[in-house]
Amino acid sequence: MFARLASGGSPVTSQMAHKAEPPDGGWGWMVVLSAFFQSALVFGVLRSFGVFFVEFVAAFEEQAARVSWIASIGIAVQQFGSPVGSALSTKFGPRPVVMAGGILAALGMLLASFATSLTHLYLSIGLLSGSGWALTFTPTLACLSRYFSRRRSLATGLALTGVGLSSFAFAPLFQWLLSYYAWRGALLLVSALSLHLVACGALLRPLSLAEDPAVGGPGTQLTSLLHHGPFLRYTVALTLINTGYFIPYVHLVAHLQDLDWDPLPAAFLLSVVAISDLVGRVASGWLGDAVPGPVARLLMLWTTLTGVILALFPVALAPTALVALAVAYGFTSGALTPVAFSVLPELVGTGKIYCGLGLVQMVESIGGLLGAPLSGYLRDVTGNYTASFVVSGAFLLAGSGVLITLPHFFCFSAPTSKPQDLVTETLGTKVPLPSEGLGEE
Amino acid sequence: MPVEKNITLERPSNIKLICQFTTSGDLNSVNVTWRKDDEILETNYLNATGSILYTQYMFTIVNSKQMGSYSCVFGEKKEQRGTFNFKVPELHGKNKPLINYVGDSVVLKCKCQDCFPLNWTWYSSNGSVQVPVDVQMNDKYVINGKNANETRLKIMQLSEEDRGSYWCHAIFQLGESEEHIELVVLSYLVPLKAFLAIAAEVVLLVAIILLCEMYTQKKKEHSDDGKEFEQIEQL
Repeated sequence: MFARLASGGSPVTSQMAHKAEPPDGGWGWMVVLSAFFQSALVFGVLRSFGVFFVEFVAAFEEQAARVSWIASIGIAVQQFGSPVGSALSTKFGPRPVVMAGGILAALGMLLASFATSLTHLYLSIGLLSGSGWALTFTPTLACLSRYFSRRRSLATGLALTGVGLSSFAFAPLFQWLLSYYAWRGALLLVSALSLHLVACGALLRPLSLAEDPAVGGPGTQLTSLLHHGPFLRYTVALTLINTGYFIPYVHLVAHLQDLDWDPLPAAFLLSVVAISDLVGRVASGWLGDAVPGPVARLLMLWTTLTGVILALFPVALAPTALVALAVAYGFTSGALTPVAFSVLPELVGTGKIYCGLGLVQMVESIGGLLGAPLSGYLRDVTGNYTASFVVSGAFLLAGSGVLITLPHFFCFSAPTSKPQDLVTETLGTKVPLPSEGLGEE
Repeated sequence: MPVEKNITLERPSNIKLICQFTTSGDLNSVNVTWRKDDEILETNYLNATGSILYTQYMFTIVNSKQMGSYSCVFGEKKEQRGTFNFKVPELHGKNKPLINYVGDSVVLKCKCQDCFPLNWTWYSSNGSVQVPVDVQMNDKYVINGKNANETRLKIMQLSEEDRGSYWCHAIFQLGESEEHIELVVLSYLVPLKAFLAIAAEVVLLVAIILLCEMYTQKKKEHSDDGKEFEQIEQL
């Protein structure tokens, strides 16, 4: 044992491979695949759940507003529970946490198939599945950020396309399940589908980066993050952005109806927006890695563009102008998602990424929860969507303004990534292992 | 070219049917008859002015035998015909089959748009014969309706024998209208089997992933031992 240490190697355990820096490929692509399916199974299911609402309204003879609380509770639990998922992942690694989350999410759906009242559904889908989702999504994205550094934005962009593609696939699938098995059987089968989250979790091989021993456990990480100036400013920026981000998704159809569009062209336009959202995510992911310098600048670019486009929506009345604006909105809003996740590792380092991402998700969810009702309220008060679109554009612009205050914003050289600095500080004279010999393919 | 008009009638009413026929030829040579389903009726009224032939038929519809098709026919060899079709209001039920599970309750609904039947009855059929639903079994069937224009049949404690076609009949003074609803009753085993199959597939996937990882780790350990020895020897 002692002789091996003296020769300049660190002991290789049978569980984890010690790496000095993110592999940027290799097994990382399997993590991308896992993240892709997870975002599909978490957000794709959530977005397509509207198909079930009609059935619940008929089966339980309740109002649509009370039924839609199911999804609201689920989303709220997923976002507020993110720090818990992050803290557990810091302690135990992402794999067991995500697998446990997958089992919880599937269990929630399973119990929901036996529901006899709406409260039963609030607890099983909202609380139980929501907690399961909280334990899966955030740890996976954080794990992805640890596996990539040069190609981080592209990897995140590719992983997040799972959300858009699954919305296309799941809505017709759920409709078919409902027509064949009715809602009880359909929920049972969605539970089986959610079990695949466990398989996705199994793919998340633990990765030990060089700076991990230095950053400590979840408690210390959380306190250090709360004192970290740039992190707090970034959280504020994301909350502002989140407030404005969801409004067009919720209100675009209603706005089109106000302008006397028929349902079929309106639905078609939504599909086109979804496609341009997908393209935007991948393009921005690639761009984020190709352009040197802090990624925060790209985020500011996309956020400003989205804000301007949103503010222009009320002015566009002709169909061609509306279509062009909608496509542009899809592209820019999709483009800002992968970059938003990539800024965080640059700010806090990959060691604290789990806790950081969890905190950010929790705080920005406040923006998301406030945005849609605020927009609805403005519409009720003013009579049309002009004010709500302009206000959401203003929120986005405010968020991008706060982004300017982030460090290194105006530098033109790439900031040396934090892991390297920590390596020279903590490892001292240790000779780092050549990673090619022990590395993955 | 036949000219047709559909009329929906619920209650006994006084009816006045009017036909106007325009021709360039000689109006007096045109033979005008009113018919009900090819049975000739007594023509009430006939008037010829200029090139327009005007005829009307007045009567009262009291019972269902008087419903049907009434036509005014102009000419004998080359007929021009205008037809009035009298029907009772039609019902709207669910077009898709209702799917439920054993032990559930289900509500079958029939609704009549803008019409108020005198009475509603329910029948079930397994094949061609319609059997009335036995409402005496209070813990099984409950019939009620919130308004006069709709009826609901609630079936509780569903079992597999309850599957099949159900018919709701709306009874008017002038006839009956019916609608068909299909009920499918599944047992829990049907989706459960699919669930267990998918769960087994997930377990298999997880096992494959974890086994692959243990295998590659073992391979690395074997190759590592070789390298460690090399380094020690160099020192």
